[in-house]
Amino acid sequence: MTYPAGVPRAEAKPPAADVPKAIPLPADAIKRLRSGDPAQVKGALDEVRTSARAGAPAAPVIAELLEKGLTPSLTQAAIDTLGDTESEAGSVALGWYAQHRNVELRRSAVQALSRTRGAVAVKALRQALSDPDPNVRGLAATGLGSMKAKDTVADLFVALDHKVAEAAASIGQLCAGNECDRLAGKLGSVPFDVVTSGLDQVLFRPPSDVSDDIKVKIVGRVRELGTGEANRFLRSVQGKWPKSWSQRVKQAIDQAVLATSGSPGTSGGDPQ
Amino acid sequence: MRHAWVVGTLAVLAACGGGQTRSSLFSTNWEDDGGASIGRVWQRVGNAPIPESADVVVGVTGHNDKLIGAPIGGGSKWTFAHPLDSRPVVTGNVVVGSGGDEAFALDAKNGSVLWRRPTGGIPLLGAGDDGTVTVVTFRKAGAVGNVLLAVAHDGQVVRQIETDKPLGAPAVLGRLAFVPWADQYVSVIDLANGDEAARVTLREQTSRAWTQGGSLWFGEAGYIRFDEHIKDASKGKATTVTVPARELPGSPKLMPSGDKALPPVADATDRVHIYARPRGTDSGAAIEDDRWYATYFRVAMGFGAGQTNKGALAWAHLGQADFVGGAAASGGVVLCDEQGKVVELDAKTGGTVGEMDLGEPVKACVVNVDAHHVNGTPTDAMPLAQQLATVVRADDPQLVVAQKLLLRELATTEDELATKTLVDLASDPRTSPDLLVEARTALGNRRNGAKYMEAALARHYDFLKDVLRPPPVGPIAQALGAMKEKGAAPLLASHLLDPADTEDDVRQTGAALAVVATPAELPTLRQFFGMYRASAADDDVAAALVSVGQALIQRGDSGVVAAAAKDPSTVPYARERLEALLSSPPPPGAPTPTEPGGKKKK
Repeated sequence: MTYPAGVPRAEAKPPAADVPKAIPLPADAIKRLRSGDPAQVKGALDEVRTSARAGAPAAPVIAELLEKGLTPSLTQAAIDTLGDTESEAGSVALGWYAQHRNVELRRSAVQALSRTRGAVAVKALRQALSDPDPNVRGLAATGLGSMKAKDTVADLFVALDHKVAEAAASIGQLCAGNECDRLAGKLGSVPFDVVTSGLDQVLFRPPSDVSDDIKVKIVGRVRELGTGEANRFLRSVQGKWPKSWSQRVKQAIDQAVLATSGSPGTSGGDPQ
Repeated sequence: MRHAWVVGTLAVLAACGGGQTRSSLFSTNWEDDGGASIGRVWQRVGNAPIPESADVVVGVTGHNDKLIGAPIGGGSKWTFAHPLDSRPVVTGNVVVGSGGDEAFALDAKNGSVLWRRPTGGIPLLGAGDDGTVTVVTFRKAGAVGNVLLAVAHDGQVVRQIETDKPLGAPAVLGRLAFVPWADQYVSVIDLANGDEAARVTLREQTSRAWTQGGSLWFGEAGYIRFDEHIKDASKGKATTVTVPARELPGSPKLMPSGDKALPPVADATDRVHIYARPRGTDSGAAIEDDRWYATYFRVAMGFGAGQTNKGALAWAHLGQADFVGGAAASGGVVLCDEQGKVVELDAKTGGTVGEMDLGEPVKACVVNVDAHHVNGTPTDAMPLAQQLATVVRADDPQLVVAQKLLLRELATTEDELATKTLVDLASDPRTSPDLLVEARTALGNRRNGAKYMEAALARHYDFLKDVLRPPPVGPIAQALGAMKEKGAAPLLASHLLDPADTEDDVRQTGAALAVVATPAELPTLRQFFGMYRASAADDDVAAALVSVGQALIQRGDSGVVAAAAKDPSTVPYARERLEALLSSPPPPGAPTPTEPGGKKKK
């Protein structure tokens, strides 16, 4: 199996929520959204976006605008804005546009859905895993992981088998027990960096979420590869391992790093 | 080369006492005698019984150095090893061949050698045999002209004639050789004295003479019977029968020219061929069984030859390998494929009624049928629509030209199986682009088989399920709309929103929904209308928008359409048409007006 070279990992747009302090929604924003004047609508959308989650009260109105139809540029702005509000009230309208013929709008809608969340969003993203566009598929896979949609792990495995590389990390975020082991079992058949993008997620999930047994087993799977890239991955995990976390897993990682340090392709550097 | 021939032949003649003729035979100074001389020949031999020819299949195998003979209808196979420089000929009960600087004749029943004669390496053109003497024509190598050689079955050379005229394939009857030449004449050579006893000018292209079914025939593009009307041949009044003209894949010929040597290895003209059998009747001549046949590689087809079915396709048969030889028979056609398999196909149904195996692949195959009657119960008889479906669905790029023709035939049948086949073809990613266009067009024009169309619409592009080609939504929508198939409305509506479908699919789906949508589809129609009202990227989607608007108006939901018609952000193409719809709405169920090309009227 070969994964398409250079397929970009789904990259989420920087959310306005990253802005340190939310700006309150202007009082007349909703009125301007309803104005029917494209310039006023655009200005109001920008302000709602700036308000981020504080703009959630405007989400139903924006969804209504999308359902009635907007020009392509306003549609794009409305979708992005709904995502920034993180309001589930926008999910239905975003679900529509996750099927739009314009692929850019579909990508934006899928990204926004991963932030508005809810059952409607999960359903739309699950469907988007089968989209004709590879970027939409990747974004959908990433979104399902970030939404903690645990019941979509089976779909994500199917997506991974269909070379949707982003599905690995999401599986790593969502898997339980045998599912995590199944992901580790992809080593050797799916590119190493794709599988370890998921295994990395599993190893650094809190002990309450993933047991030490599973983590030790995964470390063992990687160790068995005995390759330079396995060593580099293990050293990376070793370097990031929280001091307060399981010493048993730490010991397994240390031993695995030692065991693979002489592997072909291993770069210099002493094991820690 | 010519020197070698002359020396060799002279040696033969000296030894055997045969007559060598270098005379004014085949002279172009001959004046039409109004049919007098050929009339006399008819009086002389017209009622003479014509012996049946062998029913046999002869395959060329090995490195063109081995013949396998298999009697049709029973009998032991035989083999004969000999190099070949041209295609063997079966005539009467002999097989004539040339190669290795000699010509030879074999008993067609068992392959035993009747005679051999040195030739100096010139290839065989054609041969005729009346049971006592074989007349053979050869093409002079590297020179203009031909050689005619008559050899008795005891090996004695009866006559040798050299001429610069192009001779065709001869026949023999009552020790008279009927020799076609220059594509329009048949000279009758009296083998007893070498004289040209008669000549007839024919008004059909003629380079072959042969006996079959108790009659003597001339022809190439058609069949001219040697009967009491032959004396009027120069006036165009000979008994003539032809295969009806019709479109055929590869433009095959009925018979190859008799004045050109056929190669020992079959070529494209052997694979793309017409077969028919003339039959003498009380009133003249007809095509046996009112049926003629054509092959296109491994496809065989039967066509009508009668007054009421002239040229109409009766059946199609898909073989296992390319057909490289064959002959029409009474009751059917006998075809030989390049794997050495021989099938007898029923004239009426195209079903297989007999099979035979030469035992190994063949380079070429010569089939001769005279008395054998093809009969029996077909083992694979099926309706025409099913036969056509089998052929057009064959995954064989070589067959595309025939498949296109047969697909058009299929599209004219009322059988719902035709609809299913068209759906399958239009959905199959392996279908060639040429065939796909034809299949989609034909599918759009179907007016039955809705269940197959709806089953196809139930599929959508689905990457994770490896469904990577959407169904032929546009043509299906066109057909279902024309059929007013309301039961298909939910499926059509689901495709309205599928981004994997083409813009044309969406346009056709919208038009169909304008006719068949029910209140249950209103939410989907509203969704589509909202999503694309102001963002339709092209005229196809905008046309779908108008159709959907029409559906909404007709189903009492005109508010959203009226708002869109007033809103400047609505795409201009749709806006003006929505205004028109609102001012004079079409009656419920009416299709959205379209231009001939399927586009919305502007």
